[in-house]
Amino acid sequence: MMAVLSRDNLVPLLKRLSEKMEVVAPILVEGTPVFATWKGEPLALEENPLCSPVEFLLPQKEVLFSYVQYSGRYTFEAALWRARLIFGIRPCDLKAISILDMLFGAEPHDEAYLARRRSTVLVAYNCIRPGVDCSCLQMDAGPGGREGFDLQLTEIGSGYLTEAGSPAGAKMLEEQAEFFSEAREEHLQEKEKLLKEAREMLEPREDRSPSAIKNAMEKADWEALGKRCLACGSCTLVCPVCHCFNILDQGVPDGQRIRCRDCCLLSGFSRMASGANPRATQGERLKNWYLDKFEYIPANTGLWGCVGCGRCSRVCLGEMDRWALEVKR
Amino acid sequence: MSQYIPMQAEIIDIDIQSPNTYLIFLKLLEDMEFSYRPGQFVMVSVFGLGECPISIASSPTRETLQLCIRRAGRITGAIMDCRVGDVLGIRGPCGNGFPLEEMKKDILIAGGGSGFATLRSLINYIVDRRSEFGQVAVAYGARTPQDLYFMQEYKGWQQAGIDVGVTVDIGDESWRGKVGLVTSLIDNFTLPPGSAAICGPSVMINAVAKKLMERGFDHADIYVSLERHMKCGVGKCEHCMIGPYHACQDGPVFSYDKVKTVI
Repeated sequence: MMAVLSRDNLVPLLKRLSEKMEVVAPILVEGTPVFATWKGEPLALEENPLCSPVEFLLPQKEVLFSYVQYSGRYTFEAALWRARLIFGIRPCDLKAISILDMLFGAEPHDEAYLARRRSTVLVAYNCIRPGVDCSCLQMDAGPGGREGFDLQLTEIGSGYLTEAGSPAGAKMLEEQAEFFSEAREEHLQEKEKLLKEAREMLEPREDRSPSAIKNAMEKADWEALGKRCLACGSCTLVCPVCHCFNILDQGVPDGQRIRCRDCCLLSGFSRMASGANPRATQGERLKNWYLDKFEYIPANTGLWGCVGCGRCSRVCLGEMDRWALEVKR
Repeated sequence: MSQYIPMQAEIIDIDIQSPNTYLIFLKLLEDMEFSYRPGQFVMVSVFGLGECPISIASSPTRETLQLCIRRAGRITGAIMDCRVGDVLGIRGPCGNGFPLEEMKKDILIAGGGSGFATLRSLINYIVDRRSEFGQVAVAYGARTPQDLYFMQEYKGWQQAGIDVGVTVDIGDESWRGKVGLVTSLIDNFTLPPGSAAICGPSVMINAVAKKLMERGFDHADIYVSLERHMKCGVGKCEHCMIGPYHACQDGPVFSYDKVKTVI
């Protein structure tokens, strides 16, 4: 099911949807595009924001449940989720979410993630102008999305070709029919042509395929790379697939059990109370980060644990070449 | 309901094992079935501080759930400061436990330090179902005589026909037992190559496994229980990764052939 949304109708459509649920969209905050709750600001659709919208499924900090103490016994209250629509999510981040869905959906389910996920509508936005750091094509994660979205928009000359990817998306197209016009074969052809051009833009770049990275991993001097890694955690912060978390309590005697994002590149991540640390050096931790993305996640999900968004490279303070696994300078 | 919400358990008794180790007896307050197997663990909550993984020290063949707590970090310290009547949160049981169906009937059990707590669950399970097992031997090493746990139980194990060997790293004036490594105890056992269950520091695990393989044990029959930093207990938070495995889900018990390159 598909339809065409005219350029003039995009904002009115989002306004209509925001009457029913929270709408998250990329907007400019102090000149930087970020995903945030949309309140009618101009949309920033030129580039994919540095922080992925995965933040709205696995937030930096969320309440898992509240505990209330009464004469030495506790009562618990699970957190509730509001319905939310994420607009403008790119194919790479969409793929990251499908990886997280598999990891958090594997037995035993992570209900805290899944409850949030179930109440989230994903409206994707295809990349017809890939960014300079992007290697989604080589990771089979873009520039066009194939699945995992409720609706998917592709910017074409006359507006946005809008395709439904789920029953919920199809229902939205029906309910909001007044904003859409009929899609014709030529619209689809235009989309395919634009995505083909996008693939060509991505094609001639350096080899950042999984096999190239795995080759680099075999040759890598992890201890030397570990010395360059500043253990700042920036790459794990922006990676849409990274999902390590910590659980801690806030409040005595009543309070909340909090889940907050963690980082496997920090030295305390695997250190036990006894002081023993199974991954004692930064090189070992960095190697584990790569092994997770290129061996362990593929073994568990059948998908690469990297979606080629290029964010880790953009933020690396150690100025490592994140693909060739060489020290840049 | 989130699976992160724990059950509540009341501390009904505390048995001091050593100055920094208490055995805590728990009664679940919720009317929920709590069945477990030797080698599994629970996530224990002290509300206001958080959770930590603690192996179950009791056998499912016996009534009371018991946890052996050694003062190591913030949460274990807070648990040890609890009194009888206080309430802890319990999630679990977590992890796989020892694969008793796959294990051979002759079993060598080797423990070092606080790793002995999870093995006590297995030993008491064997004692209670003695006819289902063959020759069984226990080798246990601790740092000093004061650090030996469950001393009042060794006699009962021996009466059940289990060979029990105990050693310490550093003795004192009153100590008349062995001083040395756990591996030195194994030479005294006559049991044929069967299965093994090991828990302790990784240096000790590797040394015992090497010794057992020399004696003809297959590395796939040697089961090791591994300790890792854990947060979620359900295989999601990635703290306890051991190569491709999650210690909290795929472990904490692994056959030695699976993990010998990564421990």
